[in-house]
Amino acid sequence: MTTRKIKIGIPKGSLQEHTLKIFKLAGFNVEVFPRSYVLGIDDLEIEAFLIRPQEIPKYVERGNLDVGISGEDWIIESNAKVEEVCDLEYAKRDIKKVKWVLAVSNNSNIKKPEDLEGKLVSSEVVNIAKKYFRDKKVKVKVEFSWGATEVKPPLFADGVIDLVETGESIRAHNLKVLDVIFESSTKLVANKKSLKDKWKKEKISDLSFVLKGAVKGEETTLVSFHVLKDKLEGILKILPSRGNPSITKITGTSWYDVTFIMLERDVKEFIPKIKRKGGEGIVEFPLNKAVR
Amino acid sequence: MNKNKNMKQIKLGFPGREWRNQTVELFKRAGYRPNLEETLFRVNINDPQFKCFLARTEEIAEYVEKGILDAGITQSIRLSEQGIKNIIKVSEFDYGNNVWWKTKVVLAVPFDSKVKSIKDLKGKKILTRVLNTTKEYFKKNKIEAKIEWVNRPTETKVPIFGDAVVEFTNTGNALRANNLRIIDVLTETVPTLIANQNAWQDKKKREKIEDLGLLLSGARIAQDYAGLMLHASNDMMEEVLGVLPSLKKPTVTHLRGENWFDVFTVAEKEKIREIIPKLKKIGCTDIIEFPLKKLIV
Repeated sequence: MTTRKIKIGIPKGSLQEHTLKIFKLAGFNVEVFPRSYVLGIDDLEIEAFLIRPQEIPKYVERGNLDVGISGEDWIIESNAKVEEVCDLEYAKRDIKKVKWVLAVSNNSNIKKPEDLEGKLVSSEVVNIAKKYFRDKKVKVKVEFSWGATEVKPPLFADGVIDLVETGESIRAHNLKVLDVIFESSTKLVANKKSLKDKWKKEKISDLSFVLKGAVKGEETTLVSFHVLKDKLEGILKILPSRGNPSITKITGTSWYDVTFIMLERDVKEFIPKIKRKGGEGIVEFPLNKAVR
Repeated sequence: MNKNKNMKQIKLGFPGREWRNQTVELFKRAGYRPNLEETLFRVNINDPQFKCFLARTEEIAEYVEKGILDAGITQSIRLSEQGIKNIIKVSEFDYGNNVWWKTKVVLAVPFDSKVKSIKDLKGKKILTRVLNTTKEYFKKNKIEAKIEWVNRPTETKVPIFGDAVVEFTNTGNALRANNLRIIDVLTETVPTLIANQNAWQDKKKREKIEDLGLLLSGARIAQDYAGLMLHASNDMMEEVLGVLPSLKKPTVTHLRGENWFDVFTVAEKEKIREIIPKLKKIGCTDIIEFPLKKLIV
């Protein structure tokens, strides 16, 4: 019996590191070989390829790949007819959604998108840019940018439509944002035909399930502490409401163990509070997956 | 959070250079999202209540005392070296330059030098970046020597410019690479969170600075500890509890419908190496060890 396989596209470049981290948390061992676009993955039913995220939607649409991970921006830009399986809610670094903005040089007298009439705008997402100005009924020459778009105004272009994560690059290149065009997150998309195949559909849906669990696991964390009986009520009041703490009496003492999950980004506010309210032996654990 | 919007920002000194990597890592583990661009001298920990400044530990110590900064992470040796007393020591963290242990300040001489101890250095020339610490050390040992301040690198300057060095060491690699051998350890230095005395009077600022210290130490301690979980039957319990360290009282839960218990505790990784075989011998099952992110005791 030959093993059936699904082909998956993993984004090469800025999304790569985080994507591989999510795969690891999801329980896969993924190996990147130098100068190879084939990834080693310890699942015989998966073949993984490292491909630029700009091209993944196109290959998924054509059926070269059954499924792929790419940014919403590239899915829209390439106008690929693919099926969204799930939103993986991560982008580069820790920012969930990246923004595409219209920006111009800080000292230019362009104040609003309409002022760009007849001017040149440079962007990596030409189709998205063209549609944006068409909808605004502003005639603008849109030019494809190979990258490093933020350095182009004012010498090489009057405006840019570029990606913003923290806004630091925009500030560093002396640009001002005129408009936010859209926010993009990371998505798992599948070929329409592949989803009609019962085996592939199940495999893709299992994959989506564990990847989503890993994304949640990465942003949630497990906290546990001990508290004396008379302080228990007071401390439960300050805990995050969705934590559903499990409370265990410690055998033969008047201490209780309280364990709950919470968003990692809130931990640094809660731990000092727990300590002030009488929590002791506070421990925080990393989670691999969180499924609710 | 909105309620914090109007709060005065805390000006925090963030150590660059050799303390950079470990400090950034510790902030990450503590739950911050530090972003450091050393070439631009910019650092941000993604907490709107802290405005961070990248500075050298010498400057941080001085600026915190003067109140130019509210708080900062300096090196403990900077406080004694620069005579800085009017500050609050909040927390100390156990790490060095690219290592998770303390940096030592040592006296070293060339491998082939005849110098065996500090006594052989009478009248010789000692090069150092920590002048006062070195002077005090020689005074305490009643040895008169010419002690000279030099800028880094110190290790490469002996034997040509001097006879011995007093220098920081973490791994000993820089000393070995320059053919130096350690003849004495003067002291240790640790990254220390310090606060300005006026900032400490401001309740809100004080709480935030204390919380920062708590989270950073919690993240640091968690690296040396791990969680331990196991199943033990009723008759094993006394022996099991005797083996487990008592840092955090073990949480014992009765397993439903059985004469067995689930035991959960945290312990030092080094101790766990010895504990696990003992637990196995007692007859415990399902023993698992897992990493911690923070531990506050």
